Amino acid sequence: MRKSYITIIHELGKLLLSIFLLSVLVFTMSRLAPGDPLYSYYGDQVEKMGPQEQEEARERLGLHEPLPVQYARWFQGAVRGDFGISYKYKTDVKEVIAGRIGNTLLLGGLGFVIIFGVALLLGLFCAWREDKWADRVVCGIGTVTSCIPEFWLSLLLILVFSVWLGWLPSSGAYSVGMEGSLADRVRHLVLPLTVVVLGHLWYYAYLVRNRLLEETRADYVLLARMKGLSGKQVLYRHCLRNAMPSYLSMMAIALPHILGGTYVAETVFSYPGIGTLAYESARYQDYNLLMLISLMTGGLVIVGNMFAKVINERIDPRMGLKTGGMSEEVKD
Amino acid sequence: MDVLTVKNLSVSFYRQSGEIEAVKNVSFSLRAGEILVIMGDTGCGKSVLCKSIVKLLPDIAKVKTGQIFFQGKEITDYSEKEMQKLRGNSFSMVFQNPMTALNPCMSVGEQIAEAVRLRQPGISRKDLKSRVTELMELVGLDRPGERAGQYPIHFSGGMAQRCVIAIALAAKPSVLFADEPTTSLDAGVQEQILELLLELRRKLGMAVILITHNPYVAAKMADRAALMRGGEIYRIGDAEEIFEKIIHNNHP
Amino acid sequence: MKKRFPGISLFILTVVIAGCLACGAVMTKDPAYMDLANSNTAPCRAFFFGTDAMGRDVFSMIWHGGRVSLFIGFLATLISTAVAVLVGSVSGCAPAWIDGAMMGLTDIVLSVPGLLLTVFLQAVLGGSSVIGLAVVIGLTGWMSMARVVRTEVLQLKNMDYVLAARCLGGGFFHILCRHLAPNFIPSILFMAVMNVRSAIVAESTLSFMGIGLPVEVISWGSMLSLSENALITRSWWTVLIPGVFLLVTLLCLTNLGNYMRKSGSKRHSNL
Repeated sequence: MRKSYITIIHELGKLLLSIFLLSVLVFTMSRLAPGDPLYSYYGDQVEKMGPQEQEEARERLGLHEPLPVQYARWFQGAVRGDFGISYKYKTDVKEVIAGRIGNTLLLGGLGFVIIFGVALLLGLFCAWREDKWADRVVCGIGTVTSCIPEFWLSLLLILVFSVWLGWLPSSGAYSVGMEGSLADRVRHLVLPLTVVVLGHLWYYAYLVRNRLLEETRADYVLLARMKGLSGKQVLYRHCLRNAMPSYLSMMAIALPHILGGTYVAETVFSYPGIGTLAYESARYQDYNLLMLISLMTGGLVIVGNMFAKVINERIDPRMGLKTGGMSEEVKD
Repeated sequence: MDVLTVKNLSVSFYRQSGEIEAVKNVSFSLRAGEILVIMGDTGCGKSVLCKSIVKLLPDIAKVKTGQIFFQGKEITDYSEKEMQKLRGNSFSMVFQNPMTALNPCMSVGEQIAEAVRLRQPGISRKDLKSRVTELMELVGLDRPGERAGQYPIHFSGGMAQRCVIAIALAAKPSVLFADEPTTSLDAGVQEQILELLLELRRKLGMAVILITHNPYVAAKMADRAALMRGGEIYRIGDAEEIFEKIIHNNHP
Repeated sequence: MKKRFPGISLFILTVVIAGCLACGAVMTKDPAYMDLANSNTAPCRAFFFGTDAMGRDVFSMIWHGGRVSLFIGFLATLISTAVAVLVGSVSGCAPAWIDGAMMGLTDIVLSVPGLLLTVFLQAVLGGSSVIGLAVVIGLTGWMSMARVVRTEVLQLKNMDYVLAARCLGGGFFHILCRHLAPNFIPSILFMAVMNVRSAIVAESTLSFMGIGLPVEVISWGSMLSLSENALITRSWWTVLIPGVFLLVTLLCLTNLGNYMRKSGSKRHSNL
């Protein structure tokens, strides 16, 4: 009991340290990079300002101080939950993000669920039909989809479904004046979601397939078949179960990848989400916004990795740790 | 009476490079309750012979010719469904490496229970548990209640092999195939497992086909013995006769 | 898992690469010349693949642009492979704590979505030259390969022949070049081919998003960056044709890479 508390504190400490290091890294990199944040704040008006005015503007934004001081100031605020204002939107960065995060979570979250549901089914199907024609066809199609660059797929979908057929809208998250309509939201979601799903699907389905194929080559499959199980039963009851821990840890690692990987789809479909915001903020030196988005992404990444580690160590008995849960049938 | 008869069995592997004959025209019969040792060097086709009888060969291997009879009935052309029934009820197998033969992610008790349930589909939870305990005691695993919940990683090689044997016995088999059951074990443990197999044969009266390359194991276990080389059985007969000849040949 | 030699892929790839290298002989027009009188012309006899919004000949642009795209793909891979081999073998040979720290760092970088990292780096550094873009893409693509190299090095490190080389007084670089590298090259070759693929994707995506190569520097990516306008004018050929070239190249690379992949598992399923 005591030991697990220490582990938790230890892990928490590592988490905080990682996030701190990340913030320092992003802070330094973004400020050392060429580009002027004033453009982000004043737009093209900067060019009309004299050097004197520019200097004043810098001072107002606190950009004249040496880097460590700027960082310390940002850090002080961040600890209190104040992450500063966005230069471009001129409001609290938290508000800017709050207005958009729902859209990204919807797109990425739904994509995540679909990707992992379908990847598991596809992987199982292909493993079951290994090297038969059905497997080859699925693998072939999968390889092609995995090669299509996301932005081009987006263009293609727009070309076909919006321009030629006119079935689905090509941009935005909802039509003006129909914010409350669920059907309208769904219609806007279909194409970006397709891009997000197809962009990742085969990668994970192929991993599942290969993982299962590895399992089918193990000796225990023969023993299980000698018990009188059919090949399919062995695949479901033994191979799938053994592949589950790595599947789950894969999901944990993939979560930030998929949630953070929506930006291409968001950009092409002008879908108002965090992805486009992140891209804009990096491009136009909107420092405070960039910092918060990086921290959120980084935090997600680190938490995902921790989950993956826990899953690997706790669920898989091969890792040498005794699991708490005993078998159903023969519990004492 | 013969439980198992194999007549003129030939098995080939079909690779891109061509056909490889792994088993050539093998015939033998196995009497009820006896231990038949199949002895030969690595790669001479012993394992393939066994796997072709229970039809667990990989896709690229095919039985070319021959017939297999089990308790007088021909099973050569049995469908996969029928074979499953046979495997769960009449045939069992013990493998060379118990650590890889057990599913590492499933507790040992669960794995034994699975085999029991396949043999007795409608079994109640209580009976299942007592049967698992019984099987574990039968193969000499102490504290079965506690050990059932453990995973293969917590077992030593010898103990794990006992678990595999327990799984094999769950089917109450008429024929037990033991494919090099002691090769991956230490000498002392090897002895224990062999004794266990002898004892189980005495208690349960099943016939055993034991595959080995180790003359000592063969001599200790065999009622009858078959010698294999290059996919062929070149000598088969009573153990004493065969081993006498071997000894005779080696020390003229 | 049988492997069939990807002859068709290799052939197509050779044709594409040869065509791009010898683009002078293949091109029918000057790819940079803006024939404004003939902008947005559909494919016809004069312009095999039509012209884009600026009146440039798509057919000539594809070969000319492919050269840039492929060059970036290969240069970026060269950079990422060099970094990966260095990081991986240092990490594999170094004491445990350095190894742990380096791999921890690699893991963190690895778990950030790859393209996001590239977009971020490119957006921050902002260069728009071909070499600069290749460097950015190369610097964001070495992580998973470094892990593989490290694993291989760890495995190989304790092999007897490496021990023997050490006993004979071989230094770090000597052992790396003469003994370790020849052994892990097969396993990283696959990843290198895949890296070429993702580098080409990265180039086109960045150019498409407007932070890679500018429209004047012709590449597959920058050609496609105009396609949002093309959607309005319905000139599908400027979207479809360069995209198909891109896709086919990527597909051939993938097939080739999969063929090179070392398969460690047994050949036959027990199922």
